Amino acid sequence: MKIACGIWLVLTAWIQGAALDFPTTLREIHAPPDVESVTADFEFTNRSGKPVDIAKYDPTCSCIAVQIENGKLHYAPGESGQVRAQFKMGNLSGTVDKMVALWLDKDAEDKPSVALTVRVHIPILVSLEPKTLKWEVNGKGEPQTIHITMNYDKPIRVLGVTASSDSFKHQLKTIEEGKSYDLIVTPVDIKTPCLGIFRIETDCQIKRHQIQQVFATIRRSNPGDAVAKP
Amino acid sequence: MKPWCQLAVIAAVSVAAALGTFWLKGPPSRLFRCDPASLKPDDVCLATIPADADVLWVDARSRADWMKNGVPGSLLWNLDETEDMQAFEAEIAVRAAATPRVIVYCGDENCGVSRQIAGRIRALDLGAQVSVLRGGWRALNEAGRTRKPPAK
Repeated sequence: MKIACGIWLVLTAWIQGAALDFPTTLREIHAPPDVESVTADFEFTNRSGKPVDIAKYDPTCSCIAVQIENGKLHYAPGESGQVRAQFKMGNLSGTVDKMVALWLDKDAEDKPSVALTVRVHIPILVSLEPKTLKWEVNGKGEPQTIHITMNYDKPIRVLGVTASSDSFKHQLKTIEEGKSYDLIVTPVDIKTPCLGIFRIETDCQIKRHQIQQVFATIRRSNPGDAVAKP
Repeated sequence: MKPWCQLAVIAAVSVAAALGTFWLKGPPSRLFRCDPASLKPDDVCLATIPADADVLWVDARSRADWMKNGVPGSLLWNLDETEDMQAFEAEIAVRAAATPRVIVYCGDENCGVSRQIAGRIRALDLGAQVSVLRGGWRALNEAGRTRKPPAK
């Protein structure tokens, strides 16, 4: 009976066991500010004791190009390979996770065997704090300030600020040329709800950081309280 | 009894048990099931959001998927490199001013993009209440809350 149970367990493990062994399924990359794309490699080995086919792979985003080493999709027991994911930065900044899903053999459509993650840290060269200024309707319409700080080894100058609405006045104050600025915003009329979008144009050499935007809102007090919580 | 015979008996008993379960309880449900006990603090189950609730839905899938079968009235915000992130920010700022309850969904519970988008919306500090829909588009579709794709 022990032998039969042993064979049963071995067969179960053989059928159900993880087919491809990835030492890591997460690659973190700290990207330099000026690169257009980064590459992450994921090595794997077939430790299942049976041949494994990579049925398909899905980068879940047009910004990732996926290549399997030499286009090889069939792996005999003990064979190793590599998945290469090339991530195009586009106009993203901050931390971005991108997934690559791999379906092996007869995986169900909604259950890929392997999920790989490329975590890219893209520097924020122009920091805006806070991102949104808020006033309450019929409150005090006092000026508020957005601090603009450049986090780059070369100076980044603010060339100008444009506003989407006449409901706010704004003034740009240079604290340190190429390093630090204040954008001071004052509502003209505090009696009606309103949204203003301010676009801040800089001379940053890296295109995706050139234009930034911040918001100013006049809204009724704490509108989030008026809606039901889940 | 020889080991191979014992193995055959074990296999036969297992198959009989599986068939019995199938006969008594029916086939396994393939519908997405949201378990409230497993929710993260900013997750919501669709069952807690009435169909007529004043919610701003944000679709974190690709533009093609959003246009094909997104939630009617939803906004698009994904992390594709071809998209304009600032246009997404501006649009959400305008819409969230009127509807400060924002729920983000992506393809299914595995996709992970919706949580990143929710984080980016929160970082705008618009004062909106931002959640992630557990089960994503799959849960919405199974509940009949998505746009029907155009007939071929």
